[in-house]
Amino acid sequence: MTSISNNDIARAIYLSSKDKSPSEMHQVHEKVINFLVRRRLISKSSSILLELKKIINSEHGIVPANVFSAHRLHEKKEKNLVHFLKKRYSAKEVALNPVLDKTLLGGMRVEVSDEVIDLTLKNKVEQLQKYLTRTV
Amino acid sequence: MSNSHIVENLKKEIENFKAQIKIEKVGKVMEVFDGIAKISGLSDIKSSEMVTFQNGETGVALNLEDDAVGVIILGDFSKIKEGNEVKSTGRILEIPVSDNILGRVVNALGVPVDGKGPIKASKTYPIEKVAPGVITRLSVSEPVATGIKVIDAIIPIGRGQRELIIGDRQTGKTAIAIDTMLNQKGQNLICVYVSIGQKDSKLRKLEARLEEGGAMAYTVVVNASASEAAALSYIAPYAGVSIAEYFMDQGKDVLIIYDDLSKHAVAYREISLLLRRPPGREAYPGDVFYLHSRLLERACRRNEKYGGGSITALPIIETQAGDITAYIPTNVISITDGQIFLETDLFYKGIRPAVNVGSSVSRVGSSAQIKAMKKVAGTLKLDLAQFRELEAFSQFGSDLDESTKKQLERGKRAVEVLKQLQYAPVKTEHQVVTLYALTKGFMDDVPVNKIKEFEASLVDYSERNAKVFYKEIKEAKMWTDKGEEQLKKAIEDFKTSFSTR
Repeated sequence: MTSISNNDIARAIYLSSKDKSPSEMHQVHEKVINFLVRRRLISKSSSILLELKKIINSEHGIVPANVFSAHRLHEKKEKNLVHFLKKRYSAKEVALNPVLDKTLLGGMRVEVSDEVIDLTLKNKVEQLQKYLTRTV
Repeated sequence: MSNSHIVENLKKEIENFKAQIKIEKVGKVMEVFDGIAKISGLSDIKSSEMVTFQNGETGVALNLEDDAVGVIILGDFSKIKEGNEVKSTGRILEIPVSDNILGRVVNALGVPVDGKGPIKASKTYPIEKVAPGVITRLSVSEPVATGIKVIDAIIPIGRGQRELIIGDRQTGKTAIAIDTMLNQKGQNLICVYVSIGQKDSKLRKLEARLEEGGAMAYTVVVNASASEAAALSYIAPYAGVSIAEYFMDQGKDVLIIYDDLSKHAVAYREISLLLRRPPGREAYPGDVFYLHSRLLERACRRNEKYGGGSITALPIIETQAGDITAYIPTNVISITDGQIFLETDLFYKGIRPAVNVGSSVSRVGSSAQIKAMKKVAGTLKLDLAQFRELEAFSQFGSDLDESTKKQLERGKRAVEVLKQLQYAPVKTEHQVVTLYALTKGFMDDVPVNKIKEFEASLVDYSERNAKVFYKEIKEAKMWTDKGEEQLKKAIEDFKTSFSTR
């Protein structure tokens, strides 16, 4: 038996609820929940929702980005970053999610889906450690 | 070294250091169990690409699924936790290689495990490589002298050949491989011994034996022991053949022994089942044939235009109760260019090496045999086959005609001559002399229980009294009438002195 992946289900939900009026949406939701119950997929609903969110984002050209830094970013820096990310991912909108993390020491780390740009001091120090302790 | 010097050095090193800034693909560990990890993310990863875990362990991506990647962990998986970061490297798994690896024992990742310090490596080789194509190859024509009479005479092995050694447990499969390695001293053949899922104690004994015989100087041992993860057993033969390819690329001839591929198949089955791949016959996955065919296809003999060199493969398969029709044995038999079949019955009858001459074949080796050996061994296989048939037949009746009796007597002596002790390889010239004496009937009147003694003394005597013959064999690989006359005379002289003993 071929199993349906969470991604497939999320896509189906997205397509069936696209451009629907509120009353139609209600019906769609009911059917979705019935389907999940019938196929015993309720336990997977959180990961399906996560996939759904990804699909909605990609359809609307929204790129969510987590930005980790030791200190709050300057506004100008943030603007530059948004501009860079918009260009790189050809996105209409960038949803920045700033996270403060003192252990990074300095710099910042940008995560967009599974791509990571690590510009933190912590990373550099770790690289230096690796370089100095390498076997020659 | 003074303090200021250390500081100075450190400063220089730090100045040389440049932090790398790049966009990396990062995944997260979703689950870890039994040496397998499921990882989310890593969207652009290739099949069999190497990944690195946060704590420095490496892994290989085998299953690329819709929303996850199945990775085998090469090393200790107990320290990997859920949520750990995993980075892709963009490279296929590779192992360090260099000339310094000769004489060393390494694990499946090329890391030395013999306690003799690190190996300085100049290059790395990927463990998976497509085998050389048709136009780069040359047919087999150079022999691998195993030093084992029955093999060199009846089932000869050529450089670039793949000859399977198959038999039950405790029938002397490894012994044949070790004897072959010991016999390569001064033969220009580098040996790679890949031990898969064996006991460490057995390997230690074997290594000591090779050391004692001076064979470690041209040998590399790749060890994936029974206590290590199945993933390491799975990649060990590929790592071994990569080391062999490194030497072949220098135009050298290499002999590689896989001991043994049944355990390799079992390790791969374990990994496949854990990765939830569908099981097939005997629960092996569907690609278990390809697992071995792509490995053994990398054994080859390349022509001069493409760098020359060769890899001869001696895979070993352990059967259960002599059943060569099981799944893995039949697969490997069909891939290789012949097999040496060892039997428990023969072993306990005292016929050692316990080679069943009837079931053993070498499909391409005969063209690699030297001319002299071909001449003396030509009738030997026939003699033995006829002997086996008559032996069964003669048990029913006692009245046998003269020629049948003669054939029986000849057969008994042939079996006796082909017996050989372990760790006692015989030189090709000596083999030719012994077999010459046997097939020309010089041994027919020597009592069977004295054959071994006769053989040993004859070799000694002829070496002193038939120098022309020996010289011809060594140089031209074939005797002339002059040499033959001298040998005949030497044998006859020797016989008269032997019978008066």
